Amino acid sequence: MSRNGKGPILRRRRVLQVGAGVGALQFAAPFIIQARGEQPVKIGFIDPITGSLSALAVSEVEGAKWTVDQLNKKGGILGRPVELLVEDSANDTGTGVQKAHKLIERDKVDVIMGDVNSGIAYAIMGVTSEKRVLHIVPGGHTDPITGKDCKWNTFRTCNTTAMDAAAVTGELVKKFGKKWFFITPDYAYGKTLQENFVKNLKKAGGTYQGDMLPIANTDFSATLIKAKAYKPDVLLNNMGGAAQLNCMKQFVQFGMAKEMALGGALYELETLRSVPKEALTGWWVMEWWWNQPNVPAVKQFVDSISPTLGGKKPSARHWFAYVSINAVKLAAEKAKSLEAVKMAHALEDLELPPDIALSPNKIKYRAGDHQLMSDLFVGQVQPAGAGGPDDLFKVESVVPGEQAAGPAEATGCKISWPA
Amino acid sequence: MLQLVLFNLTNGLIVGAFYVLMALGLSMIINLSNVVNFAHGNFLAIGGYVAFVLTPFIGFWGALLVSPLLTAIMGYVIEKVVIRHVYTRNHIYSLLLTFGLGFILQDVCRYIWGPSPLPLNIPADMSAAVTPDLFFITWYRVFMVAVVIVAVGGLFAFLRYTRVGMRIRAGTLDLDTVSALGVNVSALRSYNFAVGSFLAGLAGVLAAGQLGLNPNMGDDLIMPSFIAVIVGGVGSLTGTLLGGLLIGVASALTTVFYPSAADAVIYVIMALVLLIRPRGLLGEEGMLQ
Repeated sequence: MSRNGKGPILRRRRVLQVGAGVGALQFAAPFIIQARGEQPVKIGFIDPITGSLSALAVSEVEGAKWTVDQLNKKGGILGRPVELLVEDSANDTGTGVQKAHKLIERDKVDVIMGDVNSGIAYAIMGVTSEKRVLHIVPGGHTDPITGKDCKWNTFRTCNTTAMDAAAVTGELVKKFGKKWFFITPDYAYGKTLQENFVKNLKKAGGTYQGDMLPIANTDFSATLIKAKAYKPDVLLNNMGGAAQLNCMKQFVQFGMAKEMALGGALYELETLRSVPKEALTGWWVMEWWWNQPNVPAVKQFVDSISPTLGGKKPSARHWFAYVSINAVKLAAEKAKSLEAVKMAHALEDLELPPDIALSPNKIKYRAGDHQLMSDLFVGQVQPAGAGGPDDLFKVESVVPGEQAAGPAEATGCKISWPA
Repeated sequence: MLQLVLFNLTNGLIVGAFYVLMALGLSMIINLSNVVNFAHGNFLAIGGYVAFVLTPFIGFWGALLVSPLLTAIMGYVIEKVVIRHVYTRNHIYSLLLTFGLGFILQDVCRYIWGPSPLPLNIPADMSAAVTPDLFFITWYRVFMVAVVIVAVGGLFAFLRYTRVGMRIRAGTLDLDTVSALGVNVSALRSYNFAVGSFLAGLAGVLAAGQLGLNPNMGDDLIMPSFIAVIVGGVGSLTGTLLGGLLIGVASALTTVFYPSAADAVIYVIMALVLLIRPRGLLGEEGMLQ
């Protein structure tokens, strides 16, 4: 055969090159086989790295990367290195689901984690349960995930909205009164959160009004005008991220802090850092706090991770990722397997050791609903204290997770295992 | 209830005035260049972030003057380097190009300043309410409205009394004839894009003072601008002015009665306008087609 009738297609030199390559492969083959034996444990991490919740997502990813580095230094999981595959859900449900399919079907991950956005976390559950992959939700709060729609393969690290609401309602009623006005984001998280607040408030004999607003609402003046007219004892700001911050700023600018108390279920350190000094006020729940003088392991954790965060203190989001990834290690080692069903069984009621729990009380993923029974830190937001620029929250009381969550049966969760 | 409605009517006009500022820049670019600039909100964010960088050195007032100018220069350069290549192509090219540009600018902000919200400090006195009764009208909001009035007045004067402004107006009506008369249309488009970017930058500084900064702030604020342009009518700056105020008031009043629909109502208005009067309230016939 010839190329354009002028010469051979396969020249002698080419044949020699191919031959040398094949020969080299013979020597390389044992190394390839060896590498297969050390195939990494793959963890797929889906979070909204772009979009309005990105600050929270980035913290979770930072926490996950740091934890994986630490695990790999100590021998990984079951003696295998851990590989973290991070995907951006872009705060969009369709994208999140697509990324879950990609991670499971193409990348063959052993575990899925995500998403900060409750709606996306809930949607991803559909994929992970169908594909029978262990799924840990580090930071999506809507209740059905470990409530009426719970699944055998899904565990949640952050609190339910019911836990957050139950933890702070008593304090707010006791200190300020029973007439409340809610400002709540109009999506899965906000709706369940407000329902839980209302349930607790009604039990205490309270009354309320409120507005459900778009999740990325920017201007709160119209709603605050309504709130002021209602003359509540407490204004509940249930918004998240930048929206929560804008609502607080306008609340203070309009002089409403002198007329009513401000509170809410959940505050994040990431948001607090951006709040002007004059707007640092109100009663909230922190799902984990970096300053726990009575828990020695916390200081060790903070001192270890802070340098990788540019000297900042870790937030609850970093802790969520830290606990979630360590939970995989604990489950795999107890089950001696990476099979989802075996790991899920192993994780049920597994008490986290103190250096993972980093909390005053013992905590575990409850068998009845797969919800982590973590402590809740109720307290006041404050201008930066003696502990540095991140000393923005004063813990007034710690509510044990079981107490805030109530019995597992009451969540409506009925776990059915695959045959 | 009447007081609540009146309060929200006033509040809606304040919010609407801000929409006007954003929408005017967008409208100018659409009118002359036929480019729907999906990156307009990201120019707004850049304006805010530049002010954040400048404020420690030249204060809020200095940043308010310098940041929009720097945003305008950036807009001028981007138009020269990127946007001008799609003028002669199908509209879909400019849509896709500016859409992609928006993502790039957003990621640039995220890369440089991080994903967390950042505050832009304004003079402390401006955060206070004007009177205890009108508690929702802070001095900063009054200032924002004043800036919008000055900017709109300045823009209309620029378009009416300067040579470049008159050429931009003429080009909006018939660019081919303006070109045939020897006007450098390429330069005209660049100046026009820079003016649009200046308005975005100005809106960005004002928005940052009120809402703080985050890389997505442009996304949250850009849709009302588009709707103001469509409702007011493509080709008409007066229409844009009217459209911005209308959707601001509609959104505020809806919050009184049905808050979940505060965002949706502006889309309903847009749909109604497109159904009943596709050219918009004061738009030029055929511009939207």
